[in-house]
Amino acid sequence: MLAPLSWLKEYIDITLAPKELGEKLTEVGLGCEKIIKTSDDIIFELEITPNRPDCLSIIGIAREIAAIENKKIKYPILKTNLKPKAKLLPLIIKTDPNINPRFTGIIIKGIKVGESPKWLKDKLKKMNQRPINNIVDITNYVMLELGNPIHAFDYDKIIGNMMTVSKTKGGEKFESVDDISYHLAKDAVVISDKEKIIDLCGIKGGKNSGTYEETKNILIRVPVEISSLTRRTSQALGLRSDASSIFERGVNTGGTIDALKRTVDLVLELAGGEIASDLYDIKEKDFKPWKLKLRIDRLNKILGIEIPIKKIMVILESLNLSPILTKNIIEATIPTYRQDLKIEEDLIEEIARIYNYNNFPKTLPVGEIPTIQVPYFKDYRLDEKIKNILQASGFSEIYTYSLIGEKDLPDGINSQDILRVDNPVSRDFEYLRPTLKINLLKALSQNKSNFENISLFELGKVYSGKNLDEAKEIYFLSGITNSKNFFEVKGLLEKIFEDIGINENPTKYIEILDKGIFFELNYSEILKNISASWRTNKVFKPLPKYPPIVEDLSIIATENAETTDIISEIKTQSPLIADVSLLDRFENSRTFHIIYQDKNKNLTGEEVAKIREKILKSLKGKFNVGLKE
Amino acid sequence: MQIKNSAVSMIIDAVDQKELEEIKLQFLGRSGKLTLTLKGITKIPVEKRSEVGKLANEVKKTIEETLEEKNSTLRSKFSSLKKQSIDTTAPGIKPAIGHLHPMTQVLSEVIDVFKQIGFQVADGPEIETDYYNFEALNIPKDHPARDTQQTLYLDTRNSKVNPGEIILRTQTSAMQGRIMEKVKPPVRVIVPGKNFRYEQVDSSHGFEFWQVEGFMVDTNVMLTDLFGTIEYVLQKLMGKNVKLKFTTTNFPFVEPGVDTYIECSICKGKGCSFCKQSGWSEIMPAGMIHPNVLKAAGYDSQKFSGFAFAIGLSRLVTLRYQMNDLRLLTNPDMRILNQF
Repeated sequence: MLAPLSWLKEYIDITLAPKELGEKLTEVGLGCEKIIKTSDDIIFELEITPNRPDCLSIIGIAREIAAIENKKIKYPILKTNLKPKAKLLPLIIKTDPNINPRFTGIIIKGIKVGESPKWLKDKLKKMNQRPINNIVDITNYVMLELGNPIHAFDYDKIIGNMMTVSKTKGGEKFESVDDISYHLAKDAVVISDKEKIIDLCGIKGGKNSGTYEETKNILIRVPVEISSLTRRTSQALGLRSDASSIFERGVNTGGTIDALKRTVDLVLELAGGEIASDLYDIKEKDFKPWKLKLRIDRLNKILGIEIPIKKIMVILESLNLSPILTKNIIEATIPTYRQDLKIEEDLIEEIARIYNYNNFPKTLPVGEIPTIQVPYFKDYRLDEKIKNILQASGFSEIYTYSLIGEKDLPDGINSQDILRVDNPVSRDFEYLRPTLKINLLKALSQNKSNFENISLFELGKVYSGKNLDEAKEIYFLSGITNSKNFFEVKGLLEKIFEDIGINENPTKYIEILDKGIFFELNYSEILKNISASWRTNKVFKPLPKYPPIVEDLSIIATENAETTDIISEIKTQSPLIADVSLLDRFENSRTFHIIYQDKNKNLTGEEVAKIREKILKSLKGKFNVGLKE
Repeated sequence: MQIKNSAVSMIIDAVDQKELEEIKLQFLGRSGKLTLTLKGITKIPVEKRSEVGKLANEVKKTIEETLEEKNSTLRSKFSSLKKQSIDTTAPGIKPAIGHLHPMTQVLSEVIDVFKQIGFQVADGPEIETDYYNFEALNIPKDHPARDTQQTLYLDTRNSKVNPGEIILRTQTSAMQGRIMEKVKPPVRVIVPGKNFRYEQVDSSHGFEFWQVEGFMVDTNVMLTDLFGTIEYVLQKLMGKNVKLKFTTTNFPFVEPGVDTYIECSICKGKGCSFCKQSGWSEIMPAGMIHPNVLKAAGYDSQKFSGFAFAIGLSRLVTLRYQMNDLRLLTNPDMRILNQF
């Protein structure tokens, strides 16, 4: 929303410097994004939150300044009493309060459509609006000034002098004043005359009933529309207007008569003519201000400070909320333009924001620290531990997008079989990644021009399932390296598994690619399998009191005998074998490092010799292995 | 004992390794003092032999240990003298370790800071229902606040899901309902995670970004607690001198609504493209939890109150390291990673 300083000053005395005013407006909730200096004015660009449709008007912004500065606002003086002067022109209005809660309108006869005066055109231009003719410009001007959208119909184009407000069935055609044709969806609220749709309520007027040079008589309509219906139609058509933004958020239901009066005053002044109908104000509800109670003790409890009651009353007064205090309870009367004030907490915010958040003291929460494990608990120490091991092993961490493009998919993964976003920001980010491999491979090649040795990993989510019924998100831990060999990667994973208490052979997680060694683990599965006691389940083993006997055993074994099988076979031969590892491998010979250890006494050479014999015998039987000569 | 004391004092006084060798010979050598004593053990009555033998062995051990200690001191002295012959000004050889992503580093600090004030850490789904992402947060369908969080909807092909029901979460706040409906107050929790929005990418916005949601509910949680918590956290993360500013804002799931800005670290408050020339960067939207949200979770909104906030983690990381573009965080270029 734009707000020229000169226009604001018509309603409120402003002494603050523009920068300071911008900061104060931001503090109370009208985020000042820009202050634009023009040749003759200063224009504030404000971000209005969805709860404050009243601030989509200059008077609304002026009211906020009045509250900040505790000053009074000057409303424009309304002259007309809306009583008809000319012979009445007939009009039958059929409407339904369920789809059009309020229909306020009047007919003016004998106007002269023409160019707007300079002051009006200048004002609209400052608001980035294109002046059209005096009637259209007046309706736009009054909307910008007071916040109630207004539409002027050419009375003579309303066939049959009849207006019917109804919902569409779907598929109807509508051409807007700006020459665009729409096919309307179901449940759009429209006005029809005897023959055709002449207005898309709350969003755009129809081309067939607009105000043009030849227009003599007009119907001015100031409605209250239903937020959700306006929003749905506006979204379905992708058509937004200043009016629809206001109706979507909730228009000033009590403001229609004043907006009509203001419009009529200006029409009579700038385009001539005479009122030629009684006032139409068709509604079921009375749209009066409502009462809201505020308990002082509740206010203090939520805010954490005791603002003096006098100050509270001044703030509420400055917001035009007519507070009445009785026994620590304030009753406020909420003007109809503040549709956002519905509960006690809303009033609490009003007081806090005008008091200014930056004037509050700061405290830290007291009270009991929760000790029960929170639902969805995650132990980040495990992530940290694993990442630290990877880092220590020379891997660097990357974070990549979850969304990938179809062209990124490797052979074997069909885009039909993975989860897809219906409305992607671009084709490059349309699918949820089923693996971390894609982005790791990309990262590897991206770095090749600058680095020779590349080792990268990512701990992130992948998304499985062919459709939403099967959808699952799983943490994967994956890495790629072009500078470490298979055994280094395997050893790294072995180290991780060992440290978090997982007894598994990591070989199946490792893939040897042309570009390097890749690994991918289902980290969610690991989280499930390790007990919460992964940090505490290590038990100290007392140091041996007796020395071990260590020997290296070289054997000749066929290629297909797997080292892991040989090792476990050796281990099963005696409980006195404390550890076995592969020391060396050359052609068909393998050397194993064996540690013999007895907890209770010194081992003798004879005992070891016996075990060695047993080992050789069993290896020979199982793997046809012989001792190296 | 005499032998021991004299040997030890001689060893300590020795100035070089040669002298040390001589001392060793003098005591432990074939005709050394201690060796001779041990040889003379046969002259001692049998019942005392073991005692003397034990003592002699202890003395021998002490002398050996002292010798070794002195020897190593002399050796290092020698080598430090030798050091002068290499160019010690050349840089050292760093271990070939990798780099943890700045996001990980900052997140672990964030977790640490919150743990100190009793917050636990939770983790939740990115594929989320419209209910938890919006409705449970007081944002019904057709609410204009949905415009501020343009949503990525998931394709419902071949599934029983109604279009529009399953989305990629737009905010980690979606975890408020999920957690609160499962646990009674007091609750203090933070939820780090990735969010998705239909948003055109620029230097300070992305369609995927990280937040750390946090909230607490108890019998007596106040707005001043929220301000105090925010100040505590941001001072810990950004330094004691961080400049903060609180403004009013509106999110349907909080009332009163608060937004937190810190002075833009990239331009030091002067105004740049990252902070849209304002000199301030929005970092931590927050507020007192709306009674409707408490009610939706089954809490008594008159008895309990709470606050909620979301730290823009991606933005915090960029501000912390004065990175002028959020996209640097998802760029796997090692020239970036190696700086952290």
